Amino acid sequence: MPALRLALHFIRRDIRNRYLGSFSGGLWALLQPLAQLAVYGFVFVYVFKAKVPGADAPGYVPFLALALWPWTAFAEGLSRATTAIQDNAALIRKVALPREILVFSAVAASFLIQGIGFLAIVLALRAFGVPVDLFGLPQTAAMYAQLFALALGFAFLFAALQVFVRDLAAALPQLLMLWMFASPVFYARTSLPEKYRGALGFNPFTHYPEFFRSALLHTPAPPLASDAIALGGALLVLVIGWALFRRLDPHFEDFL
Amino acid sequence: MSAALVETRGLGKSYPLVFRSADRLRALWRLLVGHRNADSVAVLSDVSLRVERGQSLGLIGENGAGKSTLLKLLTGVLTPSAGSVTVDGRVGALLELGAGFHPEYSGRDNIALAAALYGLSAEETRAKLPEIVAFADIGRYIDEPVKHYSSGMTVRLGFAIVAALKPDLLITDEVLAVGDESFQKKCVRWMEEYLDAGGTMILVSHSMYHVQKLCRQAVWLKAGQVAASGDVYAVTQAYLAYQEGKSAASAARAPAAQNLEFHLLDLAVNGSTEDVAAQIDVGAQVRIRVRVHSRDGRMPVVIVGIARMDGTPVYGVSTEMDGVTPHRESQNVYAAEIVFAGLPLLPGAYVIKAHPLDSEGVRLFDTLERGLTVRGESREFGLVRLTHAWHECADAVPDRKAAP
Repeated sequence: MPALRLALHFIRRDIRNRYLGSFSGGLWALLQPLAQLAVYGFVFVYVFKAKVPGADAPGYVPFLALALWPWTAFAEGLSRATTAIQDNAALIRKVALPREILVFSAVAASFLIQGIGFLAIVLALRAFGVPVDLFGLPQTAAMYAQLFALALGFAFLFAALQVFVRDLAAALPQLLMLWMFASPVFYARTSLPEKYRGALGFNPFTHYPEFFRSALLHTPAPPLASDAIALGGALLVLVIGWALFRRLDPHFEDFL
Repeated sequence: MSAALVETRGLGKSYPLVFRSADRLRALWRLLVGHRNADSVAVLSDVSLRVERGQSLGLIGENGAGKSTLLKLLTGVLTPSAGSVTVDGRVGALLELGAGFHPEYSGRDNIALAAALYGLSAEETRAKLPEIVAFADIGRYIDEPVKHYSSGMTVRLGFAIVAALKPDLLITDEVLAVGDESFQKKCVRWMEEYLDAGGTMILVSHSMYHVQKLCRQAVWLKAGQVAASGDVYAVTQAYLAYQEGKSAASAARAPAAQNLEFHLLDLAVNGSTEDVAAQIDVGAQVRIRVRVHSRDGRMPVVIVGIARMDGTPVYGVSTEMDGVTPHRESQNVYAAEIVFAGLPLLPGAYVIKAHPLDSEGVRLFDTLERGLTVRGESREFGLVRLTHAWHECADAVPDRKAAP
């Protein structure tokens, strides 16, 4: 119970800290992916003339929107959590606290903010007449929670390694950029040449945009096996990340 | 028999030696495969101590002796490399000034964080907030970011928080050294009340005065090991004697003094010319004998004085003031001896100083110093015991407190 209270405190602090000193406050959290959506939408729709394959395919913007918010939550949570231990070095050196809370809070704050944005954009799309199936929302929420578990697993892994290998935080933006383009965020699996489609299955993030689109826009659903593999993958990453974090945790202070 | 609140057994801590990034990678690999880190430097080894509920322990030692590391191990910030720590209660710690404040946040936000870290709910924190703000007494700064605080203000806030949390064990690291006089007094008063109410405390301080005032037990750490532990007076005096021995050894006399008109040959305290601090009991006699070499055979004036360790003079007097002439031992050597019968100095560390002056008592040559430790227990304040008597005053002046 005190751990939860502490986690809530850090989440609140994290959210407030991000927008401390900015005029729009928390609004910026919602605006940032919206601006991104506008830029990407413009580039892909008007410049590249991107189209979603399929006969009754939805427009490109809703298609992109449903992947963009979860990806932002995932990438932002990961990059913040990676430096969470290092950023709080001053605290860790003085106060004994469960360090995993710092990582958890960084990921949770990102998922909370982007989750609200995600919900807002889904409702907005619906209001603009996009045929979004609102009954898909509970499924979406459950899968979003699973994505959170996956992100948390990677976050524990990266945060622990970052204490020892400082290059990680520097390399992470490039890694995430690569990861984003290797995931079906801007494209559908079916847009890929046949021989590369299988490779997409090795990307642990792949399942999520595909699931969200099928749940809310009724695009072709990922195979049922994909659900099981994604769930297993998320849990495996979480267990490995947690185990590594626990193992290195007693030595953080020595290397900060 | 009372229960141990803190107990350590064979406690040790080594830090890994990491200079280059490759070292960090290697250290990471070692930790992952489960080897103990080979390249490490031990900062603390084999420390066993026990603090019972209601006890107060002073931790003394030089810089780098491992005091702060020990405290960090006790609070759980560090993980021991060897041995074990058990703490049976909630710990409130002020390590290295400030309780882990975030510089960007205001004082109030940091109070909230500290309270959350201690496990208080939002309501409990809200209830304690006015008390903390009042104790810290830093005015409008409470709403400013902590990065704008002076070190004194940071400590004030940190101490105010710890004071309000009323922990089972209070750990403070050099808190009293930073605050100003009035805040120091406030802290000391609070600590005394806390101890009277059955609190347990571990105090790190370089001020033997505070250690003796607040603690009954002391541990002297020297290069990561326990050099002495036990009664506070015995331990602090052993530590001070060691300190003085060290400073005396390093202050080897400049050879230039030998060519002056007058220079000191030796300084004997209670018959001993050995260069270690003399130890006497409160109210004992001190006999100081000084021998001066006079280049031209002229008679010197000899000054002998006593100062506190920090240089504050306590008393000084010369042969010329008292109309005494030093005894001529040979052509060029004069000797003077002064006796303080029943020296009224309070327990603590002092320095005896001697200087020769020219025959006119104008120019000062040369200096010899010798440490003087006055042993004993006393709760009086200050440097010396002034002659005094308390009188009955039942029907004298009206009670001052009653006056408006």
